[in-house]
Amino acid sequence: MSLEWVGSVLAGTTSVGVVYLLGSLGEIYAERSGILNLGLEGIMALGAATSFITTIAWGHAVAFFVAGVLGILMGLLLAFFTVSLRLNQIAVGLAITMLGSGLSGFIAFPTTRKTILRALNPELPSTALEAQSAPMLPSAPLPFLKDVPIAGPMLFNHNPVVYVSLILAPTMWFLLFRTSVGLKIRSVGENPGMADALGINVFRIRYLTCMLSGAFSAMAGAYLILGFQPFWIEGITGGRGFITLSLIILSAWSPLRAVFGSLLFGGIEVLQYRLQLFGFGAASPQFVLMLPYAIAVITLSLLSIESFRKRISAPAALAKPYYREE
Amino acid sequence: MFMLERRMDISRKASSLFVLLSLLLAFFVTGLIFHLLGVDVAQFYSTICNVFITPALLLQAVFRSIPIILASLGLVVAFRMGFWNIGAEGQIYLGMIAATGIVILHVSYGAIPASLMLVAMGVASFLAGGAWCLIPASLKVRLGVNEVLTTLMLNYIAMLFTDYLVYGPWRDPEGWGFALSIPFPEYATLKYCGNPSTVGIVISVAVAGFVYFLFKYTKLGFTLSVLGKSSDVAKYAGMQAGRATLLGSIISGGMAGLGGLYVVSGMMGRLRPRASPGYGYTAIIVAMLVQLNPWLILPAGVFFGGLLTAGDALQSSLRLPFSAITVFQSVIFLCIILAEFFRRYRVVLRRL
Amino acid sequence: MSVTPLVELRGIVKRFPNVVANDRVDFSLMPGEVHALLGENAAGKTTLMNILYGLYQPDEGEIYVKGKRVRIRSPADSIRLGIGMVHQSFRLIPVHTVWENVVLGLKEAGFVLNRKKLTDMVKKFCEEYGWNIDPNARVWQLSVGEKQQVELLKLLVRRAEVLILDEPTSVLTPQETKGLFKAIRTMAKSGKGIIFITHKLEEALEVSDRVTVMRKGRVVATKPTGEVTAEELANLMIGRPVLFKIEKPEVKKGGIVLEAKGLKVMGDRGVLALDGVNLCAHSGEIVGIAGIAGNGQEELMEALAGLRRVEAGKVFIDGEDVTNKGAGYLIGKGVSYIPPESTRWAIVRDMRLVENIALKFYRSRDFSGMLRIDWHKLFEFSRKLIDEYGIAAHSPSTLAGTLSGGNLQRVVLARELSATQDGKVPRLILAAYPTKGLDVAATEFVHSLLLKHRSMGSAIVFLSEDLEEIMMLSDRIVVISKGKVVGEFLSKEKTVEEVGMMMLKGSAA
Repeated sequence: MSLEWVGSVLAGTTSVGVVYLLGSLGEIYAERSGILNLGLEGIMALGAATSFITTIAWGHAVAFFVAGVLGILMGLLLAFFTVSLRLNQIAVGLAITMLGSGLSGFIAFPTTRKTILRALNPELPSTALEAQSAPMLPSAPLPFLKDVPIAGPMLFNHNPVVYVSLILAPTMWFLLFRTSVGLKIRSVGENPGMADALGINVFRIRYLTCMLSGAFSAMAGAYLILGFQPFWIEGITGGRGFITLSLIILSAWSPLRAVFGSLLFGGIEVLQYRLQLFGFGAASPQFVLMLPYAIAVITLSLLSIESFRKRISAPAALAKPYYREE
Repeated sequence: MFMLERRMDISRKASSLFVLLSLLLAFFVTGLIFHLLGVDVAQFYSTICNVFITPALLLQAVFRSIPIILASLGLVVAFRMGFWNIGAEGQIYLGMIAATGIVILHVSYGAIPASLMLVAMGVASFLAGGAWCLIPASLKVRLGVNEVLTTLMLNYIAMLFTDYLVYGPWRDPEGWGFALSIPFPEYATLKYCGNPSTVGIVISVAVAGFVYFLFKYTKLGFTLSVLGKSSDVAKYAGMQAGRATLLGSIISGGMAGLGGLYVVSGMMGRLRPRASPGYGYTAIIVAMLVQLNPWLILPAGVFFGGLLTAGDALQSSLRLPFSAITVFQSVIFLCIILAEFFRRYRVVLRRL
Repeated sequence: MSVTPLVELRGIVKRFPNVVANDRVDFSLMPGEVHALLGENAAGKTTLMNILYGLYQPDEGEIYVKGKRVRIRSPADSIRLGIGMVHQSFRLIPVHTVWENVVLGLKEAGFVLNRKKLTDMVKKFCEEYGWNIDPNARVWQLSVGEKQQVELLKLLVRRAEVLILDEPTSVLTPQETKGLFKAIRTMAKSGKGIIFITHKLEEALEVSDRVTVMRKGRVVATKPTGEVTAEELANLMIGRPVLFKIEKPEVKKGGIVLEAKGLKVMGDRGVLALDGVNLCAHSGEIVGIAGIAGNGQEELMEALAGLRRVEAGKVFIDGEDVTNKGAGYLIGKGVSYIPPESTRWAIVRDMRLVENIALKFYRSRDFSGMLRIDWHKLFEFSRKLIDEYGIAAHSPSTLAGTLSGGNLQRVVLARELSATQDGKVPRLILAAYPTKGLDVAATEFVHSLLLKHRSMGSAIVFLSEDLEEIMMLSDRIVVISKGKVVGEFLSKEKTVEEVGMMMLKGSAA
């Protein structure tokens, strides 16, 4: 194993990990405020599909923007159902996941895609209409830093979205744990009744975090296809949204620890490909593909063992609807 | 200002009215979405309606509804006991694997007499589906692991495991390299007992009757109901919550496993990868649509089976992807959840 | 005097379904005053204060704060007006630190929370009142008394001028109570007004400047504390010299039904709640458990009912060792349990009455076979119970959630106290606060039921927050303090005052 090989594995780890990181950053805020967004998987798929199309039509920046806006809309849908109507978050989340996956499959289907692309930008050449892959985000290696061994390829030889995500993680940690807004969000997720009594608008905060979670999930999907896997296939997210939900538990609902959780699952995924290259499991790659799901189940189980649970506890009001008592 | 008042009691009539209204709303919203996406909505709905008025297509709908119905009946058990089993899809795959396994055992080693094949396959697929559901259930009972994520993860694992088998050890050597298992001998298919649709209907009605009887008359059913409505009270009443949860989960997964048996033995006659177009997920919608009433699952299942059939027709007539049906299904799902809101609350306009 | 009252309530009326909780109530609070609001349970004290705090809207009446008429729509409104309340159950976030709990929602804290500055502020307030809390500690690590101090801190940093304390001493040790009273005096000295809700005479006399007594939703008197005696207050509170006169027939005590030896049980927070408790109850005997709330009584009941693990010690029912055999087994042995908040823990609201009654009987041979439940029989049985216990329901298939709390309480009683078809009465009845929140008639009904079962030969262990009730109803009394039995005697041997002292001091006086 050469240094170069290690470097490329680490680079891949970061590259995949950012998918999970982006998804978890928004979702941590939602869960900290008491909302479980099980729709993350579907919103991610929708983000991937829309950004795939809009990138071809208008370019990367717009693609992220459009994905974000759509994500916010899905977040609003989630908030309306769970916060205003107090409906079961698991059922609503599942429905949103189905809606997101369905819509993504629908709009990215070759025939519909072509129609949409034509409507978005009539001047597109026919090769673009037929394109099977989206142009990837350009890499922007940071001078000097990229040459540092190990850390260079891991952190400083990527596209701008990776840098932004890596900066966002500590920023969002700071917002959550060191500011009054963060304190309000966390309180709402622990004891909404009390927060309400202190004049904190529970509904506004939960709507906000839902939209945040939606936006980040969709952008995670956008990054998935623009930064990592440019070919569209149906079901492109492949359960990554659900794995994100598991790694949030592993990260104890902290944006900083989510960096490590994301890199862990990113690393597992990269190792999958590497192991296959080595001929390991070449005959039955399925077992290697199962790894992330199996590891998610195992970590969830380990985390639930009493001694762990005492130290990391979920927000007390997670997935519980709130209403004022009269 | 709008105020919400909690209803405690709601008549069955009002309740079904809300569900019907929500279905209408789903038709409208789906139409709106597809209209915005440039689909010919009139044609879309006429294709769907066509399924339910053309006898041949309706039969097809019934045929495709059987796995949904069986899985959905299993979910009734799980949901009534407050166990969020999102893993029917994986349990269906386990059912397929077990049934195929028995066939391969028989063909390769002659381990089981031909006349007992279907019985053996039925038992095996029930147990395999049940065991797959028992994993998240015991994790929940023993360690308190939330079942939502574990059941979801196990779906992916089950699907990949099926892939492994048909691409690997169970691949038919005479299948021209396709990822297929060997074709089942006739006595290992439901044709052996008669028309597969009829057999499917008989099984579905029998299982629905079982679920009905379970909750209406038995101690286990009552225990599961109390557990689902208030685990605190169940504990107080001295019920063995853990044991009941495990038992209920085996029943729940087992029925989905039977759905898997139907897929391989009734529909395809062999195992193939990705053999379920999401039956297990559709089953969730069906169970919620009928508010966990086992008898109503039968017609509701046929409706969704019809949607799947329509999905194929849409591909040829409107050149729409199959996901058009997923979109429609999910909108229905959202509208059903919305109906739940109106069942629970009365919206009152009150001046403060 | 021309001092404007901090708060003035005029003619407050609040109706709930079936009951008028506040009936034309007037109340005022002056700056620098400690005003005790005295009354029995369900006299309307807490309702009145919840109105002032903005949790309830009054149906009639006016509220003035510093002479200005106001409408208080929510707690946030009342906080803005300088009114703060400490509830009986604390409203704190256990996983957050003390300072985070204190500054939550505080405008002055700024956007970026300066931990150093904020902890210093908390410390400053602590010093002022002689409290010793680490602002960086997590709230779950604190003792009950310290949690109360955090609640007070929340009000103090918001510069609340009116502090409402709802039964603040019910969870405190005597030392903690002393500390609280000192803090209350300090607050009053700085010009704040304190409303002290209590049902304990001595405390009202000890800490307040003025007392308002409420009974059945009405104010019966408001007097300066110096001008009243304990006897006067007691008469005002109760309205008649003696609380209840219970006709207790002589019953011959039978053999031992329940025997618990050296019970050790953990509480919810993983601390020992019972530390070597011995208890026995005979057939035909009522044993009352007396103690200040939170001293292990509820854990004791749960352990005896098989709902809480016994870490050490043994429980015998009719001579059989049933330690940790589980609630289901004990129900089979004839143990009935009426839990605290029974309408929540012992009733499934979205099930029918017959199903709620079945909870206890569906396993018994009388009502089921190997597999099947005989719902027909259970229906008949439920119908009988509905009549017998006067439950206001049309039929056994009425949804439990549609009944009122009082009716649900009756359902629980009906289920737990009734004999099965073959006439077997419960061997042991564990009743935790069976009369809490009930009106006089309902209370007497429960008493008569318990006495009836006593004469039928059940052994009864019962908890009440009302010492008088315990003294009156029980044959024998066991006093519990900090998870230990500190006194045991026949109810005629001691007076209420003596038992009260024993509960407070945690030892036989």
